Amino acid sequence: MQFDIAFALSTVPSILSAIGMTLLVAAVSCVGASAVGFGLELIRRSGGPGGLFVRFLIDFIRATPVLVWLYCLYFILPFYGIRLGALATGMIGLSLYYSGYLAEVFKAGIDAIPKGQAEAARALGLGRMDMTVFVIAPQMLRNIAAPMGNYFVSILKATPYLAVLAVPEMLGRAFDIASDTYRYAEPLTVAGLIFLGLALLISLAIKRLEIRLLGPTAR
Amino acid sequence: MIRTDSTLAVQITSLNKWYGAFHVLKEVNLTIPSGSRVVICGPSGSGKSTLIRCLNGLEAYQQGTVTLGTVRLGDNARETALARRQTGMVFQNFNLFPHLTVLSNCTLALRRVLGMPRAEAESLARHFLEKVRIPEQADKYPAQLSGGQQQRVAIARALCMNPRLMLFDEPTSALDPEMVKEVLDVMTGLAQEGMTMICVTHEMGFAREVADQIVFMDQGSIVEQASPMTFFSTPTHPRAQSFLHTLLH
Ligand SMILES: Nc1ncnc2c1ncn2[C@@H]1O[C@H](COP(=O)(O)OP(=O)(O)OP(=O)(O)O)[C@@H](O)[C@H]1O
Ligand SMILES: [Mg+2]
Repeated sequence: MQFDIAFALSTVPSILSAIGMTLLVAAVSCVGASAVGFGLELIRRSGGPGGLFVRFLIDFIRATPVLVWLYCLYFILPFYGIRLGALATGMIGLSLYYSGYLAEVFKAGIDAIPKGQAEAARALGLGRMDMTVFVIAPQMLRNIAAPMGNYFVSILKATPYLAVLAVPEMLGRAFDIASDTYRYAEPLTVAGLIFLGLALLISLAIKRLEIRLLGPTAR
Repeated sequence: MIRTDSTLAVQITSLNKWYGAFHVLKEVNLTIPSGSRVVICGPSGSGKSTLIRCLNGLEAYQQGTVTLGTVRLGDNARETALARRQTGMVFQNFNLFPHLTVLSNCTLALRRVLGMPRAEAESLARHFLEKVRIPEQADKYPAQLSGGQQQRVAIARALCMNPRLMLFDEPTSALDPEMVKEVLDVMTGLAQEGMTMICVTHEMGFAREVADQIVFMDQGSIVEQASPMTFFSTPTHPRAQSFLHTLLH
């Protein structure tokens, strides 16, 4: 069976119509994973029993396949009376899973900030919260724009896992077309190329952000 | 007994601090009246930085008391925070916030800690930038300034909070020689206006000219405390004698 370019092109509109779902899942998961990951890292840094627990949790998250998280959330939570829709479950699953990785990235980003920055903030009387928001976080972002962008691309590429929960994202749509027409190469290639395009866009955006962050303020 | 005389800027009583098993501050007693200029010197590792960092809560200590004005640190969380806020600190490495402009470096604490409106904070910041003689750099980032300019911004940033006490930890040690003077000039100006200052420095010219008390530390203890005249002409402790000898030759 030859690769049929005309057929491939004909699948584009249908696959593209699911791009909104893919982007929604990816965007929410990126924000969710960053927020949870940053929170986890702050708790880990604060030490104490909470910090110890989070340290364990982060290692645990990173040692588990993402599918296990999705299945657990989707099939086990309802036993305890918690019923989330497939979409919400998927986004929460990806957020929690990648929060473990992002926490590690944030750790590296904070560790790279000279100790004197926090000391200067404290000497000026800034509270913990203000110091975190106005002194630590902006410098951390500057340090980690590139690795953070890589994880955002990973999250984008992980959205097809939500197919196991029947969330209608792009790769799922491509498979639907494939099983209807018995032609796999074309729809999967199209989906793959769209993913590639999106990943390139994210990388480009991060590059630009990095250049802006580093601009005239570079140390 | 703890005196809480408001004409005293700082009272340190029987201060002891350990890093693990290492006894870094040993029975330090020091009384600093308001308006005085104290220079702390001594060999590397003698505990100078540690001592002044105990004064604004950057270091914890295990024994003794530190009283700033009328507030004994640690007694009351609110008062302690207030006393610390009224203590400005200038670091060897400036520690300016690299992601903020000079002006924002100066206004951050005014706005977040004192809740001052932006316009008011900025005009206050510009006033102090003028005072350290770099008003024209307000919109630049720290990395665009020379070391001496950065240190003067750091001084302006601390002054914005209207401190009653200024701590300097080797403020000119990281500077190229030609920039040392511009920073010392600003510090001398502050002293002339009556600011209470504690400076860790090896700039003996500055000490001789500006200080009214020299404190010499060795291995965690204050081993000599004298007026500059006495300290430079007739140091009594052998370590102080050899320290001065190496500095002057
Ligand atoms: N966080 C720390 N943990 C363990 N030991 C420390 C720590 N900070 C400082 N010290 C030790 O305490 C001693 C005093 O240090 P401090 O920085 O106060 O000295 P200093 O007089 O300021 O020296 P310098 O002139 O080199 O700045 C040194 O021996 C130093 O190694
Ligand atoms: Mg020191």
